[in-house]
Order: sequence, then structure tokens, then C-alpha cells
Amino acid sequence: MSSDGHDPTAMTFELLKTAVKDGGARLGRLAFSGRRTVDTPNFFGLTSRGVIPHVTPDNVEKHLHTNGTYMALEDFIERPQQYMTRSPPIYETPSPTKKPLNSFTAMPSSIITVLGSRRLPAVASPMGNTNNGISVFTSTGFQAVSTKEYLNAIQTLNPDIAIPLADLTHKTNAPTSKRALRMAERTDDWIKEWFTELYKNKDSKIATFAPVLPISYSMQWEYLERLSEERESNPSVLAGLAVYDADLIPDVGSQYKNLDSLPRLALTAPSTPHQVLRQISLGMDIFLLPFLSTASDAGIALSFTFPPPASESSDLLPLGIDMSSPTHSISLSPLTLDCTCYACTTHHRAFVQHLLCAREMLGWTLLQIHNHAVLASFFKAIRESLADGTFEEKARQFALRYEPEIPQGLGERPRARGYHFKSEGPNEQKKNKPAWSKFEGEEGEEGEAVRKIEEKVGELRIDESGASGMGSGVDSISETPLVPDENADAKDLEEKGFAETVKEEEKK
Amino acid sequence: MSIVQRMASNKASSAALTFELVAKCSTTRARASILTLPHGPVNLPIFMPVATQASLKGITPEQLESTGCRLCLNNTYHLGLKPGQEVLDAVGGAHKLQGWKHNLLTDSGGFQMVSLLKLAKVTEEGVRFLSPHDGSPMLLTPEHSMSLQNSIGSDIMMQLDDVLVTTHPDKARMREAMERSVRWLDRCIKAHKNPDRQNLFCIIQGGLDLEMRRECCREMVARDTPGIAIGGLSGGEAKDDFCKVVATCTEMLPDLKPRYVMGIGYPEDLVVSVALGADMFDCVWPTRTARFGNAITKHGVLNMKKEQYAKDFGPIEDGCGCPCCRPVDQEGAIGVTRAFVHHNSAKETVAAHLLTIHNVWYQLHLMGGARDAIIADKFPAYVKEFFNNLYPDRKSYPSWAVNALKTVGIDLFES
Repeated sequence: MSSDGHDPTAMTFELLKTAVKDGGARLGRLAFSGRRTVDTPNFFGLTSRGVIPHVTPDNVEKHLHTNGTYMALEDFIERPQQYMTRSPPIYETPSPTKKPLNSFTAMPSSIITVLGSRRLPAVASPMGNTNNGISVFTSTGFQAVSTKEYLNAIQTLNPDIAIPLADLTHKTNAPTSKRALRMAERTDDWIKEWFTELYKNKDSKIATFAPVLPISYSMQWEYLERLSEERESNPSVLAGLAVYDADLIPDVGSQYKNLDSLPRLALTAPSTPHQVLRQISLGMDIFLLPFLSTASDAGIALSFTFPPPASESSDLLPLGIDMSSPTHSISLSPLTLDCTCYACTTHHRAFVQHLLCAREMLGWTLLQIHNHAVLASFFKAIRESLADGTFEEKARQFALRYEPEIPQGLGERPRARGYHFKSEGPNEQKKNKPAWSKFEGEEGEEGEAVRKIEEKVGELRIDESGASGMGSGVDSISETPLVPDENADAKDLEEKGFAETVKEEEKK
Repeated sequence: MSIVQRMASNKASSAALTFELVAKCSTTRARASILTLPHGPVNLPIFMPVATQASLKGITPEQLESTGCRLCLNNTYHLGLKPGQEVLDAVGGAHKLQGWKHNLLTDSGGFQMVSLLKLAKVTEEGVRFLSPHDGSPMLLTPEHSMSLQNSIGSDIMMQLDDVLVTTHPDKARMREAMERSVRWLDRCIKAHKNPDRQNLFCIIQGGLDLEMRRECCREMVARDTPGIAIGGLSGGEAKDDFCKVVATCTEMLPDLKPRYVMGIGYPEDLVVSVALGADMFDCVWPTRTARFGNAITKHGVLNMKKEQYAKDFGPIEDGCGCPCCRPVDQEGAIGVTRAFVHHNSAKETVAAHLLTIHNVWYQLHLMGGARDAIIADKFPAYVKEFFNNLYPDRKSYPSWAVNALKTVGIDLFES
């Protein structure tokens, strides 16, 4: 931890190399006193309710090698029905390190925290935003968060990086020009208030990463102009940009030189490494990658490297391997060759395949550890290529060598919770694939019925355990039954050799 | 206090196990010992967590190791189905499958058969049952159970027994089950392929009939297995009856063999059973209850989902030394608060993983503390302190525990 001095620039960002040849791609270094230094381009871990899904904080520290995490305020401010008036517990977290966000979530203190308002990706709210603030989605439903409330939260929780509120729709279709204009105007109003209020306290070391909206440059130039002026008059306050559309980077950079040198955090949710490479070439510095957990949940071990391996064949390589496939059932190989992550050095494919097949939670934990390691290597290699000027060529090879999409994965997913997604109408794309697709055709109807039951039962199920805890609890569906479930069939039993099928002649 | 009894001959070995009696309580029948198994020594008395499907509910083998666990369970039925015997053979056993360097114990698979499959019929040959799915007849024999456990490669394997609930009303059937379990042990011994590196334990049956239990003890002991289990309990019998059975069996069992009471896991059951002379216990309860948001503490079970913990920024249990609870400035400490567990209970699996680590630690530590107390010959005081912590006042002490402890010389009401 740094001393209690009045150094307002707790954060530094240094651009080491801006490659002319490689378009906008650049090499940088982000540093906070008392935190891990982040060489960029890089990625931060994405949390759900303050945790990297499936990974306990000790394993984050030991095995994830992540430098920073993104947290969403909406994950901490639900109002349980019976306790509507209580203030969110997180605001009262005692923190000797003055980092309540780390303290509340048991996140190691060396890890940089980014606090935003919404999860990534965020669920669109049917209530919409107002002039006073936005609508968020908590585990108990939608609720409004005013700019004042948000400012208070930021001041209380003291993240290293804070992203001011932006008036976003979180819908896939582009807003109308009228709506886009209002987005820019509201966000502009809100940022004015932000800078006035947040930095009243001269000791505040929170680095503001101001939103760059996912609308055309011409719609938001006035707002960007304000950011540039703010940067000019008060350089320590505006420390970075939170970019919602990577294609805006060239415009912003060419129009406002003083914004160009700021670190850029991607809130673009790229869905493949191809998109990551493209955004890097546009000048993105730090990424948040929802596809990491999505792949882990789907039983996929990411398998891409940068640059791609040399090969004679012109066949495209997959970006990941479906570990739930029975082809791995006796494989003692690591998830991917040469990977040095905890999962690959202490376990093998056969175990992960077994865990996925048995729906044991450890399977997803090991995949999370591996997938984070694959991304860490990917970014490290990208930085090396930027340093030696080979980025553009290697990125080209990557695009030619790998399949465009991450495989879907046939394994059953962990249970999705209500706050992860919400139905947005008939045309909405499913954020979670139905967990039972594997059995379609085989036992389609039954699978569907089970899925419906599981949805219905959902969280309530676990509540059935008596508070006494003395064995009165009923197994929830995801529990491994102590006794065989009704899906165990003779075919299974016989094939696996658990018992012998009695032959006709043996029956007397 | 008298001097701890030390025996001249306090060590016994068989092909794949050494049992060393370190100390005996001078008041009760409690014992402290070292059980050396093919994958290293373990200190008894011990609680063994259950990693049903070769995984302890979301925590890594490395994290399990960090709780101090050196012996855990796998279930033969589950591993027999997934990943299956063929895979286990190809991979080289369950240790290698799950990356567990320490000891494993497996049950026989019979319990799962009998308890679920209503159509299961136990014949002399084995457990016969109709597949619940397609109705085809299947058979699990003692030989097959041995073959599966040999493929798993567990350090301790259990015989296939004829399990009945202790409250079964038919005495004749109970006797048949007891006698059959003895005959099946003989078949298991004969079928066991790796006696040099895997230990086969017998299981004493006989329901709540103490005379039948004694008879079974004599028969089983005569067969000289490296360890002895007391089976059929934890099935809903009265606690008084449970204690009588344990006490009756331990009285007859040889000093220099480990005694395993199957399926026992509540803290007070463990402490009383240790006083009655038992050494080893297993139960899914501590890890299952963790997934319901329950933390086991010396003051009882606390449900972290309750609103009262929403703003409780203390550790799960004050003074606990587990990785979740120990002070943050200590090596390996995670710095988990009750508020954080509350925040994610039933929402993110990480909360369940953290409680699993805590609960397993608690159970192991409870037995470790009992062991230390036995060696220091202060076990009666340990038992009294345990009950004093667990209950608000003496009036609430369960009478079964008071009575059972009285039989071995501990008066919980004496100060």
C-alpha cells in the first residue's frame, strides 16, 4: 500500500510502443501503487457477485494469475423482499486496507478492482433509464440507481477504477438517432456531476474510466469534447476510457490527442479471440471477456495459441476442445499440450471428462483455471509480438488458421441463476443454451420435463434444507444422489460393469 | 489423573497396513493411534469426508489436502457407473483419476443398491435387482464388488454385506443378514486380488440385537481382516441403541485393529463414539450441509443464509484455523466473512466451496483435538468442553449422550 500522501495520481499508464505498422495496436503498462502492474494489452477477470465463477479467492490468487477484476454494483445491492429497507451490507464492510470491495469479496489485495454499474453482458431493463439515473437488475429484480446513489457507492467502496454511469439500452439493435442523442446528453450531464462530486474529496485516488458510448462519433462529440476539456484542465482526474464500441477508437484518438494516451478498457464483450485481435489492432488495451466463463460452463477447454502452430494442413483448427466428449475418457494428457496451468499440470483430460459427465462442480473450476491461463498466454504472446513488430503478421495467420467461433460444447452446464439473464421477449437470443440438448432425440421429452422442473425448483430447492442442518435437507436436483437416480439404467450398469446382467440360462 | 497406559506391544502389521496404538484414555475407551496405509500414515481418531464421485464438491484435491485430510472416501457404486471399471483400469485407478496422493476408502456399492432399488432382492449369490430403467435383471456379487474396488485401487475396501436397517422388525431376517455377511466376507477375501496393497475391512452386522452383534464380532474377528467396521447404523435407530451397539462391539474387538463406524458424522456422535472406543467415521453431512449454506461451529450449526449474517463481518467461526477463517495476515488465509458467504449462498457455488472447506476442517480438527486430548490423558475434559460449547446450558444436553458417556466414566454434569 502506498503512503497516505496526497498523490492524486495513484494510477499511471505508460505507452511503451505505439506501432505505426500495426495500425492502432499499442503496448502499455498500467500501474497502481500496491497492486500488480499490468502490461497491456491484457484482460481482467470478470466476476459474478464478486467472485470469478467457480473459483474460490485462494485459487484466484494461486492459480489464476489475473491482475484485475471487474465487479458490477448491481450484484451487491439487491433488496430482499422481507428486508426492503436494509442498506446493502457491502457499504458497511470494515476494511483495514481501505478497499472495502476487496475486503467484502475476499479478493486478494494485490488485484486491481474495476467497479461498474452493470454486469457484463447486462440484462436490458424494461423500465428504462431516467434523467436521474439508470435501471439495474439485481438478484431480487430491477431497481433504479440514481447518479447520487452511484456516486455514494463509488466513494464508499473505493475501487481502483470506477466507470461512471452511461445511459445505455443494453439492447442488440442500435438506438434511434433521437435515443442516441439523449444517451449522449444524459451521459454528459452525469459526467459533469461525477467530476464535481467525486473529486470534492481531494484524497480520492479512484481512477475514472469515462464511457465512450456505442453510438456514432457525430452523436456524442459534444460529450467527448467535455472529456477532452476535463482531461486538459484536470489531468489527474480522467484516467482512462471505458469503450463500448471499439470502432469509435480511431475517431476519438484522431480528434482528441489528449484522450489518445489514456488506457482503454473494453466493455465490448468480444465473443472470440478473433474479435479481441481486431480490437487490439484498433488500440484497445484491457479486455473483459465473458466468453471465458461461457466456454468453461460449456465444458470447453480453450486451445488456441498466438501465433498459431505451424502446419502443412489447411484445415482450420478449433478454438477449443469439448472436454465432455467421451473420446477423452481415458486420456492422461493435459487439457492442452504445453499448458502450465494448475489444471494441466496436476490433472488430465480423463478426470475433467469424468467431472463434466458426473456434473461435479470441480470440472468447471478446473476449466476456468485453464481457460484463464490460455488467455494469459495469448495476451503475453500478443505483447511480445507488438514489441518485436510481428503482431500484424501473426494476427493474420491466426485469422487464417482458426475456426471463426468457439465450439458450443455438448456437456451439461452448471445451473444458471435468475440474475444471470432474463427473458427479453420472443426474439431474444438465449444467453444460456438449454442444458439438456445432449439428450435430444434420445430422451427429448423427458429431458425437457426435467429441465422445466429444474427451472421451477431453482433456488428454492436449496432452501428446503432445515435450518437445523441435521440431515433433514432434501437433495437439490444438482446434488449427486447418494442412491442411484432413476436415470441409471441397466445398459449403463452393465456397460460400465457395475453389476452383471443375469443371463436367461442362469435363471433357474 | 493416572498415567496414560502404554503397552509394550502396541503395534500390529498386516500386508498393507500398520496399526500403532499411541495412547489410551485412562477413563473412557478412547484411543489415539497411527494407521499407516499404502498412501501414508493417518492419525486416528479420524473423520473421513466423502468425495462421492472422485471429487469433494467443487474443491480441488490441493484444497482438500490443505484442510489436513489424508484419507477420504469414494463411492464404489458411483465410480462403477461413472467413469466405469474399464476407464478406471485404463487410467490406473481412482488415485490417478482424481490426482489424490493420499489414502482412499471405498464402500462396497451394496448400500446404494439396497436402499434405492425397491425391487432389490438379496440372495445368497448377491444383490439381485431389476434395472429401474428397463427391468432387466442384474446381479452384484461379493466377487464383483471386490473386482470393482480392486480396479479403483482404494487403500481400504469394504466387504459386500447384507445391509438391513437396524430397525428391521424381522429377527429371522436379521440373523440371516448377519450370517450371510460373514459368508460374503469369506467370498470377498477369496476374490480380493491385491491384499498386499489394499486392505479389506469386514463389517459387523446384527441390527440392534446385542447378542447377535457379539456373535458377528466373534465370527468376523476370527477372519482376521486388517480392520473392522461396525455397519448398519445411522439408519434412524434411537441414539441410545446406537451407542449400545458401538459399545458392545468395541468391547469385543482386538486392541490393535482400527474400528470404523460407518455413516456417522454429527459432531456429538463422533465425540461420543470416540469415547466408546471407535476410531474412524465418514459422513456426507458436513459437505452436503455446506451446500445448503450451513457452517458447523463449536457452538452448533449456523445457517449463513439467515438475515442476521448479512452484515456480520466476522469470520465463519471465531478462532477457527481453517483457510477461510484464519486471520487475513496469516499464511494461506482467504479472509472470508459471514457476510460474504451470506451474499453468495445459493447464488454462486464459491460460497458452498468455502463452507465445504470450513466444515471439513472443523470435522478433522474436532477429531485431531480429541486425539491430542487422549494423548495428554485429558479426554474427559475435552468431551465436557465440547458439550459445554455446543449447548447453551446443561439442561439441553441430549440424554443419550449423557447416558452413553456415563457408561465409560464421564459424568457430563460433574464440574
